[in-house]
Amino acid sequence: MPGNASGKMQRTAVAAVLTALFVLPFVLAQLGRTGEFWIWVITEMVIMALFATSLNLILGFGGMVSFGHAAFFGTGAYTVALLMKKAGFGFVPAMILAPLAGALAAAIIGWFCVRRIGLYFSILTLAFGQLLYMIVFQAYAFTGGDDGIHGIPKPEIFTPLTYYLLCLILFLLCFVSMRTLTNSSFGLTIRAIRENPERARFLGVNDRRYQLLNFIIAGGFAGLAGGLFTELNRFAQTEFLHWSKSAEPLLASLVGGMYSLVGPAIGSTVLIFLKIILQQIHKDLVTVWAIILGVILLAVVLFAPEGLVGLYRKFREKRTQN
Amino acid sequence: MTLDFILFLSINGVAQGMLLFIIASGLSLVFGVLRVINFAHGSLYMIGAFLACSLSALLAGTSLLHFLLLLVLVPPAVALLGFVVEVTLFRRIYRREHLMQLLLTYALVLIFDDLARVVWGGDLRNVARPELLAGSVEVFGLFLPSYNVFILILGPIIGLGLWLLLYRTRSGKLIRAAVSYPQMLSALGVNVSALMTATFMLGCWLAGFGGVLMSGLANIDLGIGMEKIIECFAVVVIGGLGSVGGTMLGAIIIGVGSSFIQVPLSRLATMFPYIVMALVLIIRPWGLFGKPER
Repeated sequence: MPGNASGKMQRTAVAAVLTALFVLPFVLAQLGRTGEFWIWVITEMVIMALFATSLNLILGFGGMVSFGHAAFFGTGAYTVALLMKKAGFGFVPAMILAPLAGALAAAIIGWFCVRRIGLYFSILTLAFGQLLYMIVFQAYAFTGGDDGIHGIPKPEIFTPLTYYLLCLILFLLCFVSMRTLTNSSFGLTIRAIRENPERARFLGVNDRRYQLLNFIIAGGFAGLAGGLFTELNRFAQTEFLHWSKSAEPLLASLVGGMYSLVGPAIGSTVLIFLKIILQQIHKDLVTVWAIILGVILLAVVLFAPEGLVGLYRKFREKRTQN
Repeated sequence: MTLDFILFLSINGVAQGMLLFIIASGLSLVFGVLRVINFAHGSLYMIGAFLACSLSALLAGTSLLHFLLLLVLVPPAVALLGFVVEVTLFRRIYRREHLMQLLLTYALVLIFDDLARVVWGGDLRNVARPELLAGSVEVFGLFLPSYNVFILILGPIIGLGLWLLLYRTRSGKLIRAAVSYPQMLSALGVNVSALMTATFMLGCWLAGFGGVLMSGLANIDLGIGMEKIIECFAVVVIGGLGSVGGTMLGAIIIGVGSSFIQVPLSRLATMFPYIVMALVLIIRPWGLFGKPER
């Protein structure tokens, strides 16, 4: 465990990062069009960090590999798109309903998926995630099929800067509540089930119910991320629900480190940044992005299963030993 | 619906089921021995189908011999790819937790699917059926596409072959022993690691074989791998992992069901596997043949 000195260092680091997150966009706003692009990028980073952190409630803390998390991201996205474009809802009610819709979808899908834990859970999350994708894809009249829904209204108060700040504040609120959640007795129970489901059952814990509840909560946060992402881009498309979208938070969690709360957010940011750098180096590199992601995932699984946070911890341990 | 039509749908459905059986049995076999569920199995099947297309374009012939040549050449090529993957990657993670194994095969899906897109592109393509199998045959007064009948006959042959291999040969005994007691087998001087590689290659061979058959059955594109792996999962949820009979029955249920539901509701056909899966999970979460887990 970190001692007093390193605890103080950590607090300073957190304060520095937070300050940077709040100050950075104001600096970028002075830079004209490139600045605007970068504000868009960091907004996407914040939203994707929320998406990845929400998955990690299931993956890292629950110890269950879900390959269908995009279903809830997409549900949130389409909720906002449909409500704002077709039903004339305002931004605030739509954004409140997005996580609720995500949670509802997670409750339905999760009810089936937690019936079989382990391998089957992964299989089922993938399958039911794809099912939702197919439903949205085929319901052309309602969802626009593969055209998606474009031209979602944007409230006037949202400049790139203010929208970024809104996303950042929401992210921080979500992060703090997830932190509270994982440290609560609920979170500890989830971790106990991950480590030893049998023992947890002997202690009188209804493991399935806890896992389902955890799944629903994760779905809710993913729904919010989807809603925010839709408003950022002002469109929703079926790709948001596709299985390859589920790969993104999964990879982020692994690269960052799934046994810590902040790991997935770091991983997600690193991956988005990497993608942009590759784009700058050579346009063709982005067309093989999935291959690059696959190779990164292979490397992480084989050599650094605890991700960047794990590497950092190891590095720190070595230094304190010397 | 007349009786003729029902018979027609059933036979076509069973043919679809046989194709699914060939692929799913590979997945199930690999799981049985390696205890890894290979998400990339669908991608290997897709690569098999694409290889068949490329090779058939290269051979430029529509005789039965050309098609048989595809069936002989492509599956070993896929098996070879499996060999490389098993030796370089899978072998490192057998002792690791399930989660990492799943993620490794998932990484392969990302890589293979994108590689296929780069190599073959997103167009629809297919292999022209050989002349001998392009027409239709009369069975019980019904005219059935002879290609489907061909698959219908091939499926049970493969199934029987697998059963004979597993239950009537020494290699099969070793494979089954490796499922139950890998350490004991290794202590008795059997090279379990080579056995695992061989089993994995056999699984990939089956995926490739299914791919070649599929390339003549319908148009293929980049989506078929994911579509088929989910159908395989449905088979596995219905029939349980590791049993040839359960896989066969699960595949036939999916094949025939999809074929029948296609008539009134063509859109539902692709969703049928999911519906069956959901139903099985509600009624018997442990699968039709499995036993409840404690």
